[in-house]
Amino acid sequence: MDPMEAIKQTYFQECDELLLAMEEGLIAMETGEADSETINAVFRAVHSIKGGGGAFGFEILVGFSHVFETAMDLVRSGKLDPTPDVVKVLLRAGDKLSDHVAAARNGTGAAVDDAEVKAELAKLTGEEPEDAGAPAPAEFEGLAFAPVMIDIGDEEPVAPPCPVWHVRFGPHAALYAKANEPYLLIRELGMLGPIEVTADLSKLPELSALEPEQAYFSWDVVVRDCPDRTKVEEVFEFVSGDCDLEITEETPEPAAAPAMISAPGLPSLDDDEPAAMPAAEAQPEEKKVATPTETKATTVDVIKQTIRVDLDKVDRLVNLVGELVITQAMLSQRILDSVQQGQTVSAGLGELEHLLRELQEAVMAIRTQPVKSVFQRMPRLVRETAAQTGKEVRLEIEGEATEVDKTVIERLGEPLTHMIRNAVDHGLETPEERVAAGKPAEGTVKLSAEHRGGRIVIEVADDGRGINRTKVRQKAIERGLITPNSNLSDEEIDNLIFLPGFSTATTVSNISGRGVGLDVVRRNIMDLGGRITIGSNTGKGSKFSLTLPLTLAVLDGMIVAVGEQTFVLPLSHIIESLLPKSSDVKAFGSNGMLLNVRGVYVPLVSVGRLLRVPGASYDLQNSVVILVESEGVGRMALAVDAIVGQRQVVIKSFESNIGHIDGIAAATILGDGRVALILDIDGLVAGCREGTGGRPTEYQQALGA
Amino acid sequence: MPQASKIKAVVVDDQLTMRTLVRSCLQQIGLTDIREFPKAPEALSALKAQPAHIVFSDFNMPEMDGLEFLRSIRSDPQLKGIGFILLTGRADADLVKRAAQFGANNYLVKPFTVAVMKQKLEQIFGALS
Repeated sequence: MDPMEAIKQTYFQECDELLLAMEEGLIAMETGEADSETINAVFRAVHSIKGGGGAFGFEILVGFSHVFETAMDLVRSGKLDPTPDVVKVLLRAGDKLSDHVAAARNGTGAAVDDAEVKAELAKLTGEEPEDAGAPAPAEFEGLAFAPVMIDIGDEEPVAPPCPVWHVRFGPHAALYAKANEPYLLIRELGMLGPIEVTADLSKLPELSALEPEQAYFSWDVVVRDCPDRTKVEEVFEFVSGDCDLEITEETPEPAAAPAMISAPGLPSLDDDEPAAMPAAEAQPEEKKVATPTETKATTVDVIKQTIRVDLDKVDRLVNLVGELVITQAMLSQRILDSVQQGQTVSAGLGELEHLLRELQEAVMAIRTQPVKSVFQRMPRLVRETAAQTGKEVRLEIEGEATEVDKTVIERLGEPLTHMIRNAVDHGLETPEERVAAGKPAEGTVKLSAEHRGGRIVIEVADDGRGINRTKVRQKAIERGLITPNSNLSDEEIDNLIFLPGFSTATTVSNISGRGVGLDVVRRNIMDLGGRITIGSNTGKGSKFSLTLPLTLAVLDGMIVAVGEQTFVLPLSHIIESLLPKSSDVKAFGSNGMLLNVRGVYVPLVSVGRLLRVPGASYDLQNSVVILVESEGVGRMALAVDAIVGQRQVVIKSFESNIGHIDGIAAATILGDGRVALILDIDGLVAGCREGTGGRPTEYQQALGA
Repeated sequence: MPQASKIKAVVVDDQLTMRTLVRSCLQQIGLTDIREFPKAPEALSALKAQPAHIVFSDFNMPEMDGLEFLRSIRSDPQLKGIGFILLTGRADADLVKRAAQFGANNYLVKPFTVAVMKQKLEQIFGALS
């Protein structure tokens, strides 16, 4: 890649961060929580976007950011009061700036219509918008810097002159009596830098005259490379009363070649003469030069694609790998040593497995990111949607630090956008309606994220009118989605809005789409292995709950055998496994079955029969029943031939090759190299509930593939 | 004629883009020993541990701005002889004037070209080869 192109990528990546920081700062200003550092950070962000933009010749972007920057500069310096009206303009300017960055990135420089915002900014600054972005003069008249000659010579630059400390340490008997140990003190000195130790044994008397409790020794220690006297003194902090201590500083020998760098004298600060730098005469400074230290060039290459990672995470990874290598070495050794010590081997293997698991998690953690990057886009969305619909909306965000895999984050934006728009457009009432209903004119949309049981749960809640169930039901009947005499629970009615082609908005708005909305959202979420549900409370609001796996790469699964096939059940859905008594199984309808689980009847389905697996046992006496629970749809008992074990499997999606199959989530490769299908429990449960019972041909196809 | 490859440079800017750009320009001029720091305090301690001939520093940075950084360098007996070029984003005469008073050896207005940067470097080191 062209080096400039690579830097441009860095620039856009950095722009994303800067835009986020800017928006965060502006929102803090809006709520009145901004301190001067926050305001300065906003200024800096705009300033940096402009600076980088200039380097790549994005003139339109630079022109706009210049006006914005000028306004921010006034706010920063206290010349412009950030009143709510001013902040509103700044927020809109921020939105436009992101558009400009996006336009520059896509190469469609001129597409952003910023005239209005630019004019409003200019009104704040009193600057003509036409003047904006005037190229900065490269030179200032009358500000010539006198040339300062710095001679590089062949020498290394000046290394810090480091004093050498001479420490004379003569412990008294009291020091030993207090259980202090000179060796430890000297060793501690050795931590400060290289030391030379000489023991002075001159006071040691003849053995006959020796008093065992007296102190006779003293030491001379030379400490190098320690710039700080107090560090040396600190070593003796606790024994200073019990010893003779003398610390002297030896000025190091000047190095053979004197430093060639000349120092410009310090100009006095109240010197008003702006013109020239004081002439730099080569004044031989009384600089003591220690031996030149080795200079290592730390050249950092331009990294093409980066994710920024907490150092802690990487450290953990490195530590784990270290342990892993040790365990592995230990294990090989033990296997070599003895075949008889089977137990030690298996303990080692267990440890290896444990470490590998941790390692895998740590690696996964590198890929996780806070949902903040997606959540950050929402305030703007709410502002715009509110403006378009004439509603007053406050957005509350919670749990934006919640981390989830990068791929999940990337695919979260669209469904979330839809849900937020839906909440503002359909969920909330107009200010008048709200006031009439005794609510504050300003509606609230709450966006939150949290980890719950190995998944991430994202909720979008509004305090609007809630779902009008009569209307939804009526609409569903009109559209032929349900029959007029269907007996549906409130929850079931609410979830009708996810059906394809369903829209209750009386006027089709261009905000929430044209009725192609929520079914697409649900599809997207399901593709990510997630579920979406809605809860509603008439007159008080509705709440979308979205649960997603933390990662799309691995899954904790239970391996089960059905006939000749092996399947994986996601552990997150399994409640328990049991061996049913035949008396607990009741026939239901033509070929349905119910299982009595401690007094509660749940539908019982034979996986072998449902998927028509060759060689599956249909005899429930020989089956194991696994009780599963799906989000929203409820419990179900799945009969399988046997449980093989429990392990973490790597998910291999086959959707790109085979397409989506109801009831099958993905595939995986087992330890013995065989392919096993991962069952989509929600799909299975839903399929059974609807009475369709799966589509055998598709499973045959998948199994045969 | 001094060799550009012998010059040890330190680049301080909170923006990765700018650091990379300065590095890229310096490399085109022929410098090889270039260290980057996002914050002035880090650069300061790194300079004390391992000196350099020239510092390129941004002005507007969090924690410690470019002028404060310059003052710290000039008031440190060990570092005060280091060349200092201030990078400014805006053609701000006052700022440049203050920088000159504090002992900056030159300044560069962003965006800059390799030619301008070389010219400013040569004012400090003499014609470079």
